[in-house]
Amino acid sequence: MFRRVFAQARKELTQIRRDRLALALVLVLPLLLLLLLSTAISLTVNDLPLVVQDLDSSAASRSYLDAFRASVTFRVVPWPTDRQPEGALEAGAARAALVIPAQFGHDLARGQTANVQLLIDATDANTAKLVSGYAGQITRAYVEQRTGGSMVAMVTAHIRLWFNPGRDSQKFYAPGIFVLGLSMFPPLLASLAMAKEGEQKTILQVYVSSISAHEFLLGKILAFMVIALAEWTLALAVLLSVFGLRLTGDPSAFLVATVLYAFCVATFGILIGAAIPNQAAAIQAVALGGFLLVFLLSGLIFPVENIPGGLRWISHLVWGRYYIAIVRDALLQGGGWPAMWVNVVMIALIGSVFYLLAWHTMRRMQVTA
Amino acid sequence: MNAHIPTSSFWHRLRALITKEFNQIRRDKRLAISLIVAPTLQLLLFGFALDSTVSNLRLGILDESQTPESRELVATLTESKSFRVGGSFLEDRPLETAISRGEMDAGVVIPYQFARDLHRGRPTNIQFLLNAVNANTAAIGQGYAEGVLASYNRSLAVQWIHPQLRTVAVATSRKESVTLTPVFLFNPGLVTAWFIVSGTFGTLLVLNGSLVASTAMIKEREAGTVEQLLMTPAGTTEIVLAKITPLFLLLLGMVFLSFGLIRFVFGVPVRGSGLLVFGGAALCLLCGIGIGTFIATVTRSAQQAQLLSFFVNPPLAVLSGTLSPVEAMPQWLQPVTMFNPIYHFGVITRGAMIKGSTFAELWPNVVALVAFALVLMGLSMWRFRKQLG
Repeated sequence: MFRRVFAQARKELTQIRRDRLALALVLVLPLLLLLLLSTAISLTVNDLPLVVQDLDSSAASRSYLDAFRASVTFRVVPWPTDRQPEGALEAGAARAALVIPAQFGHDLARGQTANVQLLIDATDANTAKLVSGYAGQITRAYVEQRTGGSMVAMVTAHIRLWFNPGRDSQKFYAPGIFVLGLSMFPPLLASLAMAKEGEQKTILQVYVSSISAHEFLLGKILAFMVIALAEWTLALAVLLSVFGLRLTGDPSAFLVATVLYAFCVATFGILIGAAIPNQAAAIQAVALGGFLLVFLLSGLIFPVENIPGGLRWISHLVWGRYYIAIVRDALLQGGGWPAMWVNVVMIALIGSVFYLLAWHTMRRMQVTA
Repeated sequence: MNAHIPTSSFWHRLRALITKEFNQIRRDKRLAISLIVAPTLQLLLFGFALDSTVSNLRLGILDESQTPESRELVATLTESKSFRVGGSFLEDRPLETAISRGEMDAGVVIPYQFARDLHRGRPTNIQFLLNAVNANTAAIGQGYAEGVLASYNRSLAVQWIHPQLRTVAVATSRKESVTLTPVFLFNPGLVTAWFIVSGTFGTLLVLNGSLVASTAMIKEREAGTVEQLLMTPAGTTEIVLAKITPLFLLLLGMVFLSFGLIRFVFGVPVRGSGLLVFGGAALCLLCGIGIGTFIATVTRSAQQAQLLSFFVNPPLAVLSGTLSPVEAMPQWLQPVTMFNPIYHFGVITRGAMIKGSTFAELWPNVVALVAFALVLMGLSMWRFRKQLG
């Protein structure tokens, strides 16, 4: 039996080796995407253009503005004083406008509270919240510095950021994009190979040969597992070298999960290819399942908890979700088996369901072919 | 070519060819699916599933003080929607484990002497642990925690637990201070979906436009009927135009469908000119058709064209500022977005719909879109005609 499984796998790998587009698709493109997407996707903004309307222009207001100039979050851009600051937001010249009232310095000198207004372009709600938070921090620091720390806050917090103290978003997104690539390209090739058998009716030759359905499926799956693991190795090297991620804790859960995940995605591709014996349609189906589901419903960018209840149950079925958690754990948190065993089991479970469905579909193909 | 033929027959032939293309498209069920189901599904999924709101963070509590004061601090921390009590802990080891296993998103450690310090009027310190694996959540969570503590301090000063605090309180009320009032313009409810769907709109137009175009352009070659087409009196320009016109009209239907979803399902307002949005959408479609036609001319089959588009589409979608703000990209990458039609369309849609910007402010983006449409269409027509000839 194993001899036939290996023979089938070898045949499949030989076919792929001859297809240059397919090879580039599975070995080069994921690396390019990993580099590009992880660098480009980030939600924590820096260097936001800020328009300032200083109606006071006293020493106090200027030193307050200097606090904004000194921050990495804001970049003060010029705006004619005779135009409304809202205009800068409408024109897209700035993301926020700071309006300092005429009596700012006066109020401070008299020991009163000065009211400063910050107009924020809330088109992007997330950025707006960050801007509001950063500006509040700058203002608090300014007040503290002015009062010379004489007014001590009674309760202060030592805030410690764990696992990613630099709040580096790449460290969060890169493992997600890594999983996205694995969920997309190996199943794509697998579905194409399987759909081709159906489209060109070569599947009939398989039926008349002595190979059993299980051997045929396992051989194909094995081949695409090899491809997935090759992609995994290259992409992991990029993660470790370019993005400064390190394996933390016990990697055995990660390795076991990786083999299971490779099985899961390869089987998914085979299943799609068997169910849709049309190459162009199979590509679209894998793009939908591999890309849309894993990209949107796996917590890759935004937390899964934010998905509304009606959609959230789907995310429990999305295989990528479990593997993303495992990769992030292995590269950042180091929780190992105790934290991740449920996810490993879920991947194995979803993979087995895919296999059973693929086997079932193949037997049905035999009747229709 | 055929310059001596009167123009009336040009229009006549063009109409005949367009009718033929329309008839072919009408029979294509897959095309209908990719024009109706795909945009609907994508807009709804992206709009509902991608929500960056940071709320209900699970806060693990280690209260060594166990006093009314410490409980009040916990209540203040968890009364907003940002944090909720995820569990109570008696020692720091289990709390740390819970955070590293992802069972808790944050932890607060209130020291034993917390209440005693407050009663003696001494500043005291709590420890706040945040799982920063997700940088965005950590940044917003940190902002929340600091804001909550600042208001807790103010309330302490008002309550003056200790006589000494009263002097601090009095001093505070007379002390100079600055309050910053944020005003959220254009989207006061801070609805995340507005940003996502208005961005997804352009991505849909360009990506689906290119997919539909490449499939349609390649079909003739796959079926081997190009020669028959060339034997007709129609010139190559007419063939290309006849292929593009029905596609463009069909895709316009997708524009109206998507716009309807954005306007009525997600409630994005149209504060500026809707005409600007539709004009931009039409230009975006032409860009998409141009990209698709170009892909079709360098591949041999629909399947190959689709695979090739995997190399083109993700960079186009990501380097557009539609899902994450351009300002969050690294400096060197930001100028690249200028060469992306989706970016310019995103600026136009968000400006004209949410911000109420007018042509006076958006003209540079419109000009850029026109330029992209001209270049992409010209390039692909040239390639297509060269191939036919």
